[in-house]
Amino acid sequence: MRKLLTAGIAAALIVPASLSFAGGPEDVVNARLGYYRLLGLEMDGLAAMAKGEAEYSAEAAQGHAANIQTLTQYNPGGLFAPGTSNADLPGKTRALPAIWENFPKVGEKGAAFRAAVAELNAVAGNGLDALRPAVGKLGGTCKACHDDFRATDY
Amino acid sequence: MAGEQNTATGAKAPVAARSVALWDPVVRLFHWALVLAFFAVWFLGKFGPDQMTLHFYAGYAVGGLVLLRLIWGIIGPAPARFTSFVRGPKAVMAYARHLPARRPSNTLGHNAVGALFVVGILAVLVVQVTTGLIGDPEDYVNTGPLADYVAIETSRTALSLHELLGNLAMIMVIVHIAAIGFYRRWKGEDLVTPMITGKKQIPAETD
Repeated sequence: MRKLLTAGIAAALIVPASLSFAGGPEDVVNARLGYYRLLGLEMDGLAAMAKGEAEYSAEAAQGHAANIQTLTQYNPGGLFAPGTSNADLPGKTRALPAIWENFPKVGEKGAAFRAAVAELNAVAGNGLDALRPAVGKLGGTCKACHDDFRATDY
Repeated sequence: MAGEQNTATGAKAPVAARSVALWDPVVRLFHWALVLAFFAVWFLGKFGPDQMTLHFYAGYAVGGLVLLRLIWGIIGPAPARFTSFVRGPKAVMAYARHLPARRPSNTLGHNAVGALFVVGILAVLVVQVTTGLIGDPEDYVNTGPLADYVAIETSRTALSLHELLGNLAMIMVIVHIAAIGFYRRWKGEDLVTPMITGKKQIPAETD
């Protein structure tokens, strides 16, 4: 009985410790990178079509656009937990401290991104000529945020 | 022309002048086309649209012009040729010592110090065009056309360098323009007209 109790207490102590570790800054960074990689994978498919590296398919384009739209439904607030900038974790992330110093501006960039995603979804299936400018515009909103809030290198 | 300058600036120089052919049409066309392409590419890069198509086109123009100048520096006429104007440190120091003197240098071509700028800006632009071609900002639309041929880490490093060298190139251009102004105001030597007409006014007794 006592043994069981000891094991229970030990487990109770260990589990929260490992839980708090799982939610540490590096995990937030990894999750954030993962989120943008998901976006990137869909953008890659769209950009390949826009650049003529892959053949245009209305279905595939609409699929990528829909996936990006789905990702915009995700509230990324948790991905921007404090203490996860490239000043806090050099070499692990390129997220500049400026993000946490100017959240409203980050929000504006996000709004522009979501607007471009909505536009893309409206036209992605309407042929390559309709897709191309919408993808360009969406990529432009990526750049606009990177310029201010992401370092060019680790 | 030389006479006007002397009265305007007070620098002393012989009044009698003769006109000699200096810059060939390729050098002149290269120079002024590069001026346009450089300012276009720089401002488009810094302040242009987020879809950087025009920055890319201007960058290709810079690349083509630099390539042309490098070839012309080998096969072109003497004043354009690297072997005729790139000098050793001794010649550079010797010229630099005379730089503050308030009289025209009357150099027919790039002087030893100016040659440093010519080689320097061409080198910076070669690296700038290369890093632009292989750079990848990971936004899927402004990807350098050759980025696929290098690792993503290389593309990122290239882009960092691209930003840094962009600033350096602009500083060099400002120093270049300031130097032209210095020659005009302080030394009483017009370096702009020869780059337009190809002809330079030098004192009659100079060989």
